[in-house]
Amino acid sequence: MSRQPIDELVERQRTEPEAVLKERLERLAKTIELKTTDRVPFFFNSCSHALSRYYKMSEVVFNYEIFKRAAVKFVEDFPLDAFMIAPGVESTTLTMGLAIVNEYPELVSYYSPWITGPMHDILRDKYTRWPGREVGPYAPPQFYASKFMEAEEYDKLIENPTEFILKVIVPRGTENLSDLGSAKYVATITRLILERQKVSEVLDKTLAEVRARGVPTITPGYCKAPLDCIGDLLRHITSVLVDLHRCPDKVKLATEAILPLALKYAEATTPPQSPLPPLPRLLFIPLHLNDMLPPKLYNEFYWPTLKKIIVEMYSKGVRSYLLCEGDHSPHVNTILELPKGWGIAHFERPKNFIKDVWEKLKGHTVVMGGIPSTLLIGGTPEKIEEYVKNLLREVGPEPGFILSTGVAEIDPTTPAENLKALLNTLFKYGEHRR
Amino acid sequence: MVLREDFVNALLELDERKTIDATKKRLEAGEDPVEILNDLKYVAEKIGEKYERGEFFVADLVMAGEILKEITDLVKPKLDELGKVRKTIGKFVIGTVEGDIHDIGKNIVVMMAGVAGFDVIDLGVDVPPQKFVEAIKQYNPDIVGMSGLLTFAIDSMKKTVDAIEEAGLRDKVKIIIGGGRVDQYAKEYTGADAWTLSAAEGVRIMLRWIDEKQGGVNI
Repeated sequence: MSRQPIDELVERQRTEPEAVLKERLERLAKTIELKTTDRVPFFFNSCSHALSRYYKMSEVVFNYEIFKRAAVKFVEDFPLDAFMIAPGVESTTLTMGLAIVNEYPELVSYYSPWITGPMHDILRDKYTRWPGREVGPYAPPQFYASKFMEAEEYDKLIENPTEFILKVIVPRGTENLSDLGSAKYVATITRLILERQKVSEVLDKTLAEVRARGVPTITPGYCKAPLDCIGDLLRHITSVLVDLHRCPDKVKLATEAILPLALKYAEATTPPQSPLPPLPRLLFIPLHLNDMLPPKLYNEFYWPTLKKIIVEMYSKGVRSYLLCEGDHSPHVNTILELPKGWGIAHFERPKNFIKDVWEKLKGHTVVMGGIPSTLLIGGTPEKIEEYVKNLLREVGPEPGFILSTGVAEIDPTTPAENLKALLNTLFKYGEHRR
Repeated sequence: MVLREDFVNALLELDERKTIDATKKRLEAGEDPVEILNDLKYVAEKIGEKYERGEFFVADLVMAGEILKEITDLVKPKLDELGKVRKTIGKFVIGTVEGDIHDIGKNIVVMMAGVAGFDVIDLGVDVPPQKFVEAIKQYNPDIVGMSGLLTFAIDSMKKTVDAIEEAGLRDKVKIIIGGGRVDQYAKEYTGADAWTLSAAEGVRIMLRWIDEKQGGVNI
């Protein structure tokens, strides 16, 4: 097979990584500013599942050295324009971070939104399931929302969210923090912080090595829509959906009570300066209940507080990056209420990516996504090339498009030649034609 | 008939109080509890239609599920008292595939399929392929449902369909896959007969299969 653009880029990022890094940063920064650039960028965001193509999943999330090796190998094999990687999934630490941020914003970095395997062992949290622990060694770590709050407890949450979360929710959701004020409780917090320091060191090294391969690392702040905080961290998803019918006023008051904490958490976790200029400061907001809500409920209970976070952070120079799970197309028009250039909307599976999303938002919002993960898993290189070529043709010359998989993951069973076909097609046909 | 209409309309409007009142009134009027449960099959079909038209979302299905559970709880004692049993329309085995522990979607399917009249065997979450195979041998279902939220589940679904094929049972069952990541590509890759993103649509597909089977069409 003749030498392909992907081969040249793999070699260039090895021989002149600094130049390639600079090109990629400029490409992504311009795209985020909705300006024309040399070609469409490919940005991949992963919770580490993609890395288990090299090692057992349980090793990737329980052994930091293996995590680092796998992350570096991934960008050596697949030359990404930007890489965002978390070595775990959301858990108790996010709940705790939201609770303490009002009084101790400077300590929130110790309470990362996600936990790693060893942090799960320390906490014995009930939010997550881990490979080699609760599920098989090849399955990815999973967030499993449970119910830690009853409907009758909304008043307590509304009255003092910090106290309610720390004294009621954290003990219920975390086995080793269940006995508030006990020696075990203090020991668990101490171990957690020590472990978090280890994770930070490894993560910093990993990201530096990825950048040394010419690949920009995206390290945004983190936040959730207040209704998702209730659904994912406190009440459970199905319970909060029922609450919207049975006690709507309380749910609304609870989202308003959580909003200031969510906003402060966003500010506290977002780096004060851009870690990689010319990229702007970014804030990651994964949406969860969005796809499940009819527009009437979305517009009343979900969007108002989420919108406030995005607009407030935008006024501080921070661009939000929304990961819109499921089919967000019924709610796309609300995005147009935001100021032009507010940030990135990553769509998992709108019914019609071009018609429902791109055509409505282009020129206003950076749109990300477009590739079904299932096509990568089960398709052929030829099918993928045809799909990507067609997608790029339909997107056209308008700037502000970032190619990515719909869901923020690439399954480890995805054949390497399929992923390479995706990138190769982008490198061949992704230039902006004006 | 007015009572029945009130009942069905209140349910489709997700008006919890009105639906429960209408159920109580029907029972007090001496209606056959089996008839009330049979109406739920009609409701399940209507909910499926509403979902397909974009009028119903997951939140609506969850609320409908809550109300349907309350109705069943009200009707069941009357059914037991009269010694009656609702005739099931088919047998359905479902589980979240191996490696995936998500069950919100699966639980909605279990509820809606039960309401529609299926005899539902729920295998739970993180179900290995062999357990599906054993369940098919044990229960002889018409339909097998495989649920999963993760991208990882797609490969597990394929392994499960393959195991059913290897056991020589593939021709005996229709297979439907469902969950956040499934689509036409996943259907082709796994070798399932149908895919769906929604419990409501999934149950409609299953009802169609049962109708076809009863109409003499091979499934």
